[in-house]
Amino acid sequence: MRITQILSGRSVWKGPHIVPLPIGHALKTGSPIRTNARSCTILPQFVGIKFQVHNGKEYVAFEVTEDMVGSKLGEFAPTRKRFSYTQTKNK
Amino acid sequence: MVTTIMGKPFRAKELVTIGLKSKFYGLSEHDVSKVCSKLGFYPKMRIHQLTEQQILGITKELSDLTIGADKKAIIRSNIALKRTIGSYAGMRHALGLPVRGQRTKTNAKTARRLNRIERRGYATSTNQYNAIGLQESFHHSEQGVFAGFKNFMRILI
Repeated sequence: MRITQILSGRSVWKGPHIVPLPIGHALKTGSPIRTNARSCTILPQFVGIKFQVHNGKEYVAFEVTEDMVGSKLGEFAPTRKRFSYTQTKNK
Repeated sequence: MVTTIMGKPFRAKELVTIGLKSKFYGLSEHDVSKVCSKLGFYPKMRIHQLTEQQILGITKELSDLTIGADKKAIIRSNIALKRTIGSYAGMRHALGLPVRGQRTKTNAKTARRLNRIERRGYATSTNQYNAIGLQESFHHSEQGVFAGFKNFMRILI
Protein backbone atom coordinates (compact mmCIF):
# COMPACT_ATOMS: atom_id res chain seq x y z
CA MET A 1 0.00 0.00 0.00
CA ARG A 2 1.39 3.34 -1.03
CA ILE A 3 -0.45 6.38 0.28
CA THR A 4 1.38 8.74 -2.04
CA GLN A 5 0.25 6.77 -5.05
CA ILE A 6 -3.38 6.93 -3.98
CA LEU A 7 -3.15 10.66 -3.51
CA SER A 8 -1.00 11.48 -6.51
CA GLY A 9 -2.47 14.25 -8.66
CA ARG A 10 -5.03 15.09 -6.02
CA SER A 11 -5.10 17.50 -3.11
CA VAL A 12 -4.11 15.86 0.15
CA TRP A 13 -6.95 17.38 2.13
CA LYS A 14 -9.50 15.68 -0.13
CA GLY A 15 -8.14 12.22 0.48
CA PRO A 16 -8.82 9.44 -2.03
CA HIS A 17 -12.05 9.46 -4.01
CA ILE A 18 -14.34 7.24 -1.95
CA VAL A 19 -17.65 5.89 -3.15
CA PRO A 20 -19.98 4.21 -0.65
CA LEU A 21 -19.96 0.50 -1.50
CA PRO A 22 -21.21 -2.50 0.50
CA ILE A 23 -17.70 -3.60 1.49
CA GLY A 24 -18.61 -5.17 4.81
CA HIS A 25 -21.39 -7.21 3.31
CA ALA A 26 -19.15 -8.42 0.48
CA LEU A 27 -16.38 -9.43 2.85
CA LYS A 28 -18.82 -11.46 4.98
CA THR A 29 -20.66 -13.24 2.22
CA GLY A 30 -17.99 -13.27 -0.50
CA SER A 31 -20.52 -12.07 -3.06
CA PRO A 32 -19.33 -9.77 -5.83
CA ILE A 33 -20.05 -6.04 -5.72
CA ARG A 34 -21.83 -4.88 -8.86
CA THR A 35 -21.16 -1.22 -9.45
CA ASN A 36 -21.08 1.55 -12.03
CA ALA A 37 -18.62 3.63 -10.00
CA ARG A 38 -15.59 3.33 -12.25
CA SER A 39 -13.90 6.35 -10.72
CA CYS A 40 -13.81 4.81 -7.23
CA THR A 41 -10.26 4.52 -5.89
CA ILE A 42 -9.28 1.00 -4.82
CA LEU A 43 -8.53 1.12 -1.11
CA PRO A 44 -6.51 -1.43 0.91
CA GLN A 45 -9.79 -2.63 2.43
CA PHE A 46 -10.95 -3.82 -1.02
CA VAL A 47 -8.26 -6.48 -1.33
CA GLY A 48 -9.79 -9.91 -1.89
CA ILE A 49 -13.23 -8.60 -2.82
CA LYS A 50 -14.78 -9.51 -6.16
CA PHE A 51 -16.08 -6.65 -8.26
CA GLN A 52 -18.28 -6.41 -11.29
CA VAL A 53 -17.61 -3.03 -12.88
CA HIS A 54 -19.67 -1.57 -15.68
CA ASN A 55 -17.84 -0.89 -18.93
CA GLY A 56 -20.77 0.83 -20.65
CA LYS A 57 -22.27 -2.40 -21.93
CA GLU A 58 -21.78 -5.18 -19.43
CA TYR A 59 -20.25 -5.82 -16.03
CA VAL A 60 -16.62 -6.97 -16.11
CA ALA A 61 -15.73 -9.26 -13.22
CA PHE A 62 -12.35 -9.22 -11.48
CA GLU A 63 -10.93 -9.76 -8.03
CA VAL A 64 -8.90 -7.02 -6.34
CA THR A 65 -5.32 -7.91 -5.45
CA GLU A 66 -2.82 -6.01 -3.38
CA ASP A 67 -1.06 -4.51 -6.40
CA MET A 68 -4.26 -2.85 -7.59
CA VAL A 69 -4.52 -0.61 -4.52
CA GLY A 70 -4.35 3.03 -5.54
CA SER A 71 -5.78 2.66 -9.02
CA LYS A 72 -9.40 3.11 -10.00
CA LEU A 73 -12.00 0.40 -10.49
CA GLY A 74 -12.53 1.49 -14.09
CA GLU A 75 -8.95 0.72 -15.06
CA PHE A 76 -9.75 -2.97 -14.93
CA ALA A 77 -12.90 -2.85 -17.04
CA PRO A 78 -11.86 -1.78 -20.56
CA THR A 79 -14.52 0.17 -22.41
CA ARG A 80 -13.40 -0.34 -25.97
CA LYS A 81 -13.34 -3.39 -28.16
CA ARG A 82 -10.43 -3.75 -30.52
CA PHE A 83 -11.31 -3.52 -34.19
CA SER A 84 -11.06 -6.84 -35.96
CA TYR A 85 -11.76 -7.12 -39.66
CA THR A 86 -14.27 -9.67 -40.95
CA GLN A 87 -14.32 -10.66 -44.60
CA THR A 88 -18.08 -11.01 -45.15
CA LYS A 89 -20.98 -9.04 -43.82
CA ASN A 90 -22.96 -12.18 -42.92
CA LYS A 91 -20.65 -13.25 -40.10
CA MET B 1 41.04 13.66 -26.59
CA VAL B 2 38.60 11.43 -24.78
CA THR B 3 37.95 11.23 -21.07
CA THR B 4 36.20 8.20 -19.66
CA ILE B 5 33.79 8.48 -16.75
CA MET B 6 32.14 5.29 -15.55
CA GLY B 7 32.91 3.53 -18.82
CA LYS B 8 31.41 6.24 -21.05
CA PRO B 9 33.60 8.27 -23.41
CA PHE B 10 33.37 12.07 -23.23
CA ARG B 11 34.72 14.56 -25.74
CA ALA B 12 37.14 17.04 -24.20
CA LYS B 13 35.17 20.13 -25.24
CA GLU B 14 31.84 18.81 -23.98
CA LEU B 15 30.06 20.72 -21.22
CA VAL B 16 30.09 18.66 -18.05
CA THR B 17 26.40 19.24 -17.33
CA ILE B 18 25.14 18.39 -20.80
CA GLY B 19 27.62 15.55 -21.27
CA LEU B 20 26.62 13.75 -18.11
CA LYS B 21 22.93 14.25 -18.76
CA SER B 22 23.09 12.84 -22.26
CA LYS B 23 25.34 9.87 -21.55
CA PHE B 24 23.56 8.29 -18.61
CA TYR B 25 19.99 7.02 -18.88
CA GLY B 26 17.76 8.26 -16.09
CA LEU B 27 20.01 11.13 -15.05
CA SER B 28 17.98 14.32 -15.05
CA GLU B 29 19.15 17.89 -15.45
CA HIS B 30 18.24 18.40 -11.83
CA ASP B 31 20.41 15.46 -10.72
CA VAL B 32 23.34 16.78 -12.74
CA SER B 33 23.07 20.27 -11.35
CA LYS B 34 22.94 18.81 -7.85
CA VAL B 35 26.07 16.72 -8.45
CA CYS B 36 27.91 19.62 -10.08
CA SER B 37 27.07 22.10 -7.35
CA LYS B 38 28.04 19.59 -4.68
CA LEU B 39 31.44 19.16 -6.31
CA GLY B 40 31.77 22.92 -6.88
CA PHE B 41 31.83 23.05 -10.68
CA TYR B 42 30.86 26.26 -12.36
CA PRO B 43 28.03 25.93 -14.90
CA LYS B 44 30.06 26.23 -18.12
CA MET B 45 32.79 23.81 -17.06
CA ARG B 46 34.02 21.49 -19.78
CA ILE B 47 35.27 17.93 -19.54
CA HIS B 48 38.95 18.73 -20.25
CA GLN B 49 39.04 21.12 -17.31
CA LEU B 50 38.30 18.35 -14.81
CA THR B 51 41.10 17.01 -12.64
CA GLU B 52 41.48 13.34 -11.77
CA GLN B 53 40.15 14.06 -8.32
CA GLN B 54 37.02 15.71 -9.70
CA ILE B 55 36.37 12.80 -12.05
CA LEU B 56 36.60 10.45 -9.10
CA GLY B 57 34.17 12.73 -7.29
CA ILE B 58 31.67 12.49 -10.18
CA THR B 59 32.02 8.71 -10.22
CA LYS B 60 31.33 8.55 -6.52
CA GLU B 61 28.27 10.78 -6.76
CA LEU B 62 26.82 8.94 -9.75
CA SER B 63 27.31 5.53 -8.18
CA ASP B 64 24.86 6.54 -5.45
CA LEU B 65 22.12 7.32 -8.00
CA THR B 66 19.92 4.84 -9.81
CA ILE B 67 20.86 5.25 -13.46
CA GLY B 68 21.42 3.22 -16.60
CA ALA B 69 20.41 -0.43 -16.61
CA ASP B 70 19.07 -0.32 -13.04
CA LYS B 71 16.75 2.54 -13.93
CA LYS B 72 15.52 0.73 -17.02
CA ALA B 73 14.88 -2.41 -14.99
CA ILE B 74 12.71 -0.38 -12.62
CA ILE B 75 10.70 1.06 -15.52
CA ARG B 76 10.24 -2.38 -17.03
CA SER B 77 9.12 -3.91 -13.76
CA ASN B 78 6.60 -1.10 -13.31
CA ILE B 79 5.16 -1.77 -16.76
CA ALA B 80 5.14 -5.52 -16.15
CA LEU B 81 3.26 -4.99 -12.89
CA LYS B 82 0.61 -2.96 -14.69
CA ARG B 83 0.30 -5.73 -17.23
CA THR B 84 0.01 -8.52 -14.65
CA ILE B 85 -2.71 -6.80 -12.65
CA GLY B 86 -4.62 -6.34 -15.90
CA SER B 87 -4.99 -2.58 -15.84
CA TYR B 88 -5.81 -0.38 -18.82
CA ALA B 89 -2.32 1.17 -18.82
CA GLY B 90 -0.73 -2.29 -18.97
CA MET B 91 -2.95 -3.24 -21.88
CA ARG B 92 -2.02 -0.10 -23.79
CA HIS B 93 1.66 -0.88 -23.26
CA ALA B 94 1.12 -4.39 -24.58
CA LEU B 95 -0.69 -3.08 -27.65
CA GLY B 96 2.01 -0.51 -28.35
CA LEU B 97 -0.45 2.37 -28.14
CA PRO B 98 -0.43 5.62 -26.14
CA VAL B 99 -1.16 5.07 -22.47
CA ARG B 100 -2.46 8.45 -21.35
CA GLY B 101 -5.38 9.10 -23.62
CA GLN B 102 -3.59 10.63 -26.59
CA ARG B 103 -5.13 10.34 -30.03
CA THR B 104 -4.45 7.28 -32.16
CA LYS B 105 -6.19 8.19 -35.41
CA THR B 106 -2.89 9.69 -36.52
CA ASN B 107 0.53 10.07 -34.97
CA ALA B 108 1.11 8.03 -31.78
CA LYS B 109 4.51 7.27 -33.29
CA THR B 110 6.54 7.40 -30.12
CA ALA B 111 4.18 4.95 -28.47
CA ARG B 112 4.29 2.58 -31.44
CA ARG B 113 8.06 2.67 -31.32
CA LEU B 114 8.56 2.30 -27.60
CA ASN B 115 5.49 0.97 -25.82
CA ARG B 116 5.67 -2.72 -25.11
CA ILE B 117 6.04 -4.97 -22.11
CA GLU B 118 9.81 -5.21 -22.43
CA ARG B 119 10.32 -1.56 -23.13
CA ARG B 120 13.69 -0.73 -24.62
CA GLY B 121 15.51 2.30 -25.90
CA TYR B 122 15.44 5.95 -25.00
CA ALA B 123 12.57 8.34 -25.34
CA THR B 124 14.21 10.79 -27.73
CA SER B 125 17.45 9.51 -29.28
CA THR B 126 17.10 8.81 -32.98
CA ASN B 127 20.27 6.74 -33.05
CA GLN B 128 18.74 4.31 -30.62
CA TYR B 129 15.67 4.13 -32.80
CA ASN B 130 17.66 3.07 -35.82
CA ALA B 131 20.04 0.81 -33.94
CA ILE B 132 17.70 -1.06 -31.66
CA GLY B 133 14.04 -0.09 -31.94
CA LEU B 134 13.38 -0.65 -35.61
CA GLN B 135 15.32 -3.86 -36.19
CA GLU B 136 14.18 -5.43 -32.97
CA SER B 137 10.58 -4.65 -33.70
CA PHE B 138 10.92 -6.49 -37.00
CA HIS B 139 12.36 -9.44 -35.16
CA HIS B 140 9.84 -9.72 -32.41
CA SER B 141 6.59 -8.67 -33.98
CA GLU B 142 4.68 -9.21 -37.15
CA GLN B 143 4.04 -6.48 -39.66
CA GLY B 144 0.90 -5.86 -41.66
CA VAL B 145 -2.74 -5.00 -41.20
CA PHE B 146 -3.42 -7.27 -38.23
CA ALA B 147 0.05 -6.96 -36.75
CA GLY B 148 -0.99 -5.06 -33.66
CA PHE B 149 -3.80 -7.42 -32.87
CA LYS B 150 -1.78 -10.56 -33.50
CA ASN B 151 1.02 -9.32 -31.30
CA PHE B 152 -1.48 -8.50 -28.62
CA MET B 153 -2.92 -11.99 -28.79
CA ARG B 154 0.55 -13.46 -28.55
CA ILE B 155 1.20 -11.48 -25.41
CA LEU B 156 -2.10 -12.67 -23.96
CA ILE B 157 -1.27 -16.30 -24.68
